[in-house]
Amino acid sequence: MPAFELFQPSSISDAQKLLEQYREDAWVVAGGLDSFDWLKDRIKRPKALVDLSGIAEMKGVRTSSEGVEIGAMTTLTEVVRHPVVREKYGLLAEAAELAASPQIRNQGTIGGNVSQDARCWYYRAGWPCYRAGGNVCYADTPTGRNREHAILHAERCVAVNPSDSAPALIALDARFVLRTPKGERIIDAEDYFIGPDVDITRLHILKPGDLLTSIRIPSTWAGAQFYFEKVRDRNVWDFALLNVASAMQVSGNAIERIRLAVNGAAARPLRLRAVEDAARGKPATSATGEMAGKLAVQGAVALQFNAYKIPLMRNLVKRAIGGVEEAKWVS
Amino acid sequence: MSDPINNREYGPQYKLIGKNYVTADLHAKVTGKAKYAEDFRAEGMLFCKLLLSPLPHATVKRIDAAEALAMPGVRAILTADDLPAPADTVTDNGTVIKASKWGERGLTMEPVYQGEPILAVAAVDELTAAEAIERIRIDFERLPFVVDPLDTLRPGGPNPRTDGNVWVSRAGRAPAVAELKWTDVDFTEAGYGRLPMGKTPDEWSYGDLDSGFRNASLVVDETFVTPDVSHQTLEPRSAMAYWQNGKVYLHTGTQSTAQTLPAIARWLNIDADKIVFISEYTGGGFGSKITGGVSMIIPALLSKKANAPVMMRISREEETFIGRARPGFQGRMKVGFSKEGRIVALDMFVVSDNGPYDAQGDASTSGHMVSLLYQPQSMRWRGVTVLTNTPPRSAQSSPGGLQGITIIEPIIAKAARTLGIDQVAIRYINCPEGKAPYGPPVEGKLQHATSAFLKDALQRGAEQFRWRERVARNPKRIGSKVRGVGVSLSCYVGGTTGFDGLLVITPDGRVRFQSGIGNLGTESVIDVHRVGAEILGIPWERCEVVWGDTSKHFPFTCVSGGSQTTHAMTRAAHAVAMDARRKLQEIAANGLGGKPEDYTVANERIFRKGQASGMTFAQAAQRAIELGGKYDGHEAPTDVNKVTKASVAALAGQGLVAAARDNYPRDGMTHSYVASFAEIEVDVETGKYYVVDFLAYADVGTVIHPRALGGQVLGRSILGIGHAIGQKWVFDSHYGEMVSKRFHHNKPPTILDVPVNMQWAALDIPDPETPVGARGIGEPPVGRACASVLNALSDALGDKIFQRAPVNADTILISLEAGRPVQHPLMAHI
Amino acid sequence: MPNPTLKILGDTPKAVSRRRFIKGVIAGGAAVSSASYLFRNSVVHGVSGTGDRLITLNVNGQLRRVDVMKQETLAWTLRYKLGLTGTKLGCDRAECGACTVLLDDVPHYSCSVLTHTVRNEKVLSIEGLANEDGTLHPIQQGIIDEQGFQCAFCMSGFVMATEGFLKTIPDPTRSELAHGISGNLCRCQDYDKILTALMRGAENMRTANHV
Repeated sequence: MPAFELFQPSSISDAQKLLEQYREDAWVVAGGLDSFDWLKDRIKRPKALVDLSGIAEMKGVRTSSEGVEIGAMTTLTEVVRHPVVREKYGLLAEAAELAASPQIRNQGTIGGNVSQDARCWYYRAGWPCYRAGGNVCYADTPTGRNREHAILHAERCVAVNPSDSAPALIALDARFVLRTPKGERIIDAEDYFIGPDVDITRLHILKPGDLLTSIRIPSTWAGAQFYFEKVRDRNVWDFALLNVASAMQVSGNAIERIRLAVNGAAARPLRLRAVEDAARGKPATSATGEMAGKLAVQGAVALQFNAYKIPLMRNLVKRAIGGVEEAKWVS
Repeated sequence: MSDPINNREYGPQYKLIGKNYVTADLHAKVTGKAKYAEDFRAEGMLFCKLLLSPLPHATVKRIDAAEALAMPGVRAILTADDLPAPADTVTDNGTVIKASKWGERGLTMEPVYQGEPILAVAAVDELTAAEAIERIRIDFERLPFVVDPLDTLRPGGPNPRTDGNVWVSRAGRAPAVAELKWTDVDFTEAGYGRLPMGKTPDEWSYGDLDSGFRNASLVVDETFVTPDVSHQTLEPRSAMAYWQNGKVYLHTGTQSTAQTLPAIARWLNIDADKIVFISEYTGGGFGSKITGGVSMIIPALLSKKANAPVMMRISREEETFIGRARPGFQGRMKVGFSKEGRIVALDMFVVSDNGPYDAQGDASTSGHMVSLLYQPQSMRWRGVTVLTNTPPRSAQSSPGGLQGITIIEPIIAKAARTLGIDQVAIRYINCPEGKAPYGPPVEGKLQHATSAFLKDALQRGAEQFRWRERVARNPKRIGSKVRGVGVSLSCYVGGTTGFDGLLVITPDGRVRFQSGIGNLGTESVIDVHRVGAEILGIPWERCEVVWGDTSKHFPFTCVSGGSQTTHAMTRAAHAVAMDARRKLQEIAANGLGGKPEDYTVANERIFRKGQASGMTFAQAAQRAIELGGKYDGHEAPTDVNKVTKASVAALAGQGLVAAARDNYPRDGMTHSYVASFAEIEVDVETGKYYVVDFLAYADVGTVIHPRALGGQVLGRSILGIGHAIGQKWVFDSHYGEMVSKRFHHNKPPTILDVPVNMQWAALDIPDPETPVGARGIGEPPVGRACASVLNALSDALGDKIFQRAPVNADTILISLEAGRPVQHPLMAHI
Repeated sequence: MPNPTLKILGDTPKAVSRRRFIKGVIAGGAAVSSASYLFRNSVVHGVSGTGDRLITLNVNGQLRRVDVMKQETLAWTLRYKLGLTGTKLGCDRAECGACTVLLDDVPHYSCSVLTHTVRNEKVLSIEGLANEDGTLHPIQQGIIDEQGFQCAFCMSGFVMATEGFLKTIPDPTRSELAHGISGNLCRCQDYDKILTALMRGAENMRTANHV
């Protein structure tokens, strides 16, 4: 890695001071696993690294009657193992446990997982694409290799958001707590993520100087009926081709309330409101799921190598509502 | 234990052969003390970084390194101008093979693939070297390039090298690059999704193909594409070199210590006795580190130029470029079956993606393997080895075998389904037995194998896997999950002959085996010498194996590649142990009277039958030194290789020195065989599938070291499975750049991608054509492991899902959706 | 893999824009660091932030003073500053696990940890496992017992991952252990034998703890 200055503030306000001081030359590091790729590849060359790992107030899971608050610097392993998260918000535990590898979960944080950059292989290899400030999308050309890319809401850039925990947090109606130079700001999980129409160079709303400090999950969905599924090539390390997260409250057989999100389909995790609206009041069956799945992929546009994502998303949404039959054979 | 059969005793008649033991290298490995190339340090060591070509094909017009060289800490730059002229090769019988003008040289002014090294910089540390690389200015002129073999075969298609696009073989000479273009008719005639079959430089056939097809009950004609897969040894091919007293000392990984020395000498164009090569531990090879390569000569030459030791750490990305890969095939096969399922005619056509450099044998080997494995009554093979501007290829475990088997196996599976024949049964009636014949014909005659007991392996494997039970599984589908079972066979060359063994019985009564085999983890470097100890009747604790440093004097040894070692070097070990035994007997007779044959060698003694008198190994070794001559190495046998003679001379006087050439006869070519069985579970709503059970049953002759054998059988199986479930290259064909440079792009299998319990077993039937009966195992498991997974998939989903490997969720889902294979059927590198 | 200074004659728009772009980036951060692993020519610019480069690390139970660059990874420090070469670099990108060490008993990829950030943590590498008298750690012994691993370049990473995992689940099933060590890649693909050896190691540990 090229040389940089390393800062390890012990409080959020100290971190903010550093970010204020270095502005565009500063680079915020959480677990570092996304950051070090950029630095080792010598593509990004910040002058100052601000490592948040020394900020105690950004770590740990606090529980209350209103839900849980997870410090942004809490590792994925801590999230996965936390008894209250497991018991009441198992959707998040499941999503976090399917991220990357054990060592990465031991170091990678929940804040980092939702804030990581796109993994488009052109963008990450330093091609001067739209997302990198250029004027081409290399993945979206007649010879572009785009098996992992977007089927929805692509605009110039066809990269997707790689986070596994993001759709789970959206389904759980989480709030993201930000610290900006103007003070604290609390937003819906959904609004943390942005597409290329808003800013083609970022996947989230943080501006230089802003920090994501914690994530609050309200008790609204505690113990609800959850579904999470991630489809990937290898069962370790690989990012999702697509994932889906749903939280449902079913009364009798009718879906009373539902939140549902997918990731890997667009530059931001998508909350599927139309699907939620259509499913509400209907039985939680595969028939409803099938209807929902078809609705979910309306408007989806395939690139040359990612047409499979349309049936995949359709089927994942179907399962997120109608469930999946357990198959057990005696070997 | 993962394998119940594994508990059975192999080689009950032996003390050492067929027994598990702790290899001498293991303690250093588990404690982290084992030193791999990058673990060495030298006083004043510099670090080196490479400048890689950003373009797939170009001419370097100008290099301006002034700014880089002016940087503090930058010591030297090495360009193609600094390379020695490529040396000719002189074979053991004196034949001179002229250096190829198309060969790879290490650094180049005409890069022929993106990522090819153009120059190297040495600096006091790696950061400085990396900064210096960025300050070097190079002017390139673009040249035409191609990454898909079919694109260069099209009329008017670009050529990957300035003088052509294919390798053609020439009688008695090294192959040459030539231009080959197919016609528009070739391309249009084939039709969508079918491989065009234009002219090929190479072809052979036997039997009456036409009548075979005419009389066939079923003819299946399929096109199939196999992936290019990087070797991706976990240890990148880093190397460290320094010069001392006119000799270069080189630390790096290799598969074959003794054979790497002459390779380095050739690359550096210096005498082998000016090189000390150290490679005690090698972090994987799989065919990519068989002997010398570009990664060795750059630090050696840079060290000379900078007059300081140079460490060249190879990054994972650089490894992707220079680290070698298996050629992918675009293949087509037309197979005629009798109604009983016997293959009566087989017409095979393959296009091998060779990369830009040396001609690989994969295309021709694929025909040989298919011919042996399925014994077609008539067969034609046609092939073309096409150059492309993609990273260089080399042999990879089962070169050509994997590709050929992966192309034919889905056809056999389909034929069995069509003809209503059980998958095991159709393979049973086609597979080789005994001295089975195979093509290509030599002087009008088919060649033949030394032996084959594959029918036994297939049958026993089917029983152990409970094949019938699984086939009868009902239901096959529950919800969205479908189960499928697959069986496949494979074979590969399992050994060569004619190498030398060398050992010393020292005056302390111990036996020291000189091992020129590389230590890449298969343990053959040590295992083969158990044969010598067995023959000499000495406890293993009294033996020592010396390996990994050419200054320690090794015999002429086979390259550890192509599954040669276990066969070739157990023969050599047998020969040298017999030589040692004879010498011990002679020494005893000489000292104690009588004839040599009156003496028995056992229990670390040489004694006369029925008498108490005799001498110990220690006494005999001392006596050998006193006798001198052939006994202590002052004379070497006349028939051993010159490399062995030099080592014998160097060891002379250390004790009883035994050296011998493997002169044992052999009728036929040695091959090993494996049958494998896989069950998969696929989710038809996501396309995701898991291999849930896997068994490999091996016919590899006598088992030498069960645990090491199991490691090879299942390890090489997973390499094959990797070709089915995900490994590949992806190129942007417009820019000629690889986009799949990271592991999460090119997908080497993880521990969770394979069954948590895999099973293996070996027949342990000795090959009749070799004294110990042992054959090699590195290559044979690979092809059928891949094919058994593919066959299990088509068992679950039908024949209309895929016509290329790997098969992933995308392939499965999109084809299920369309009811036919829709993935770009012929396009390379997607 | 763009290099800004490579000029392509008769360039296409793509190469032009790439070149321009990278030039811009370099102008922003082209400070030269010649800090060497032996500290020849150490040119450190703007020391501030976490302060000294000379820090104390707790490695394998010993306190070690060591001069560490700010951008230096723990794997580099262990291998090139402290001579602990049992920790391997297979990918340097958190994708293979060969560099796995324990930080306060938790497995981490040392290629992806900045050394300066572990000043307050206990680092355990493969060299710290065996007893001082040379007695092997039970996991190491399990590998000896079962001839685990082929080339063994991945071995120390697997062993450290196992050591960390067994602290959370000392009596795992084969499948649980496979998940526990799934962040480690073996290219010899000797997974089956590795798992057998590490299961034996876990058994050895339980036996040792009960003695």
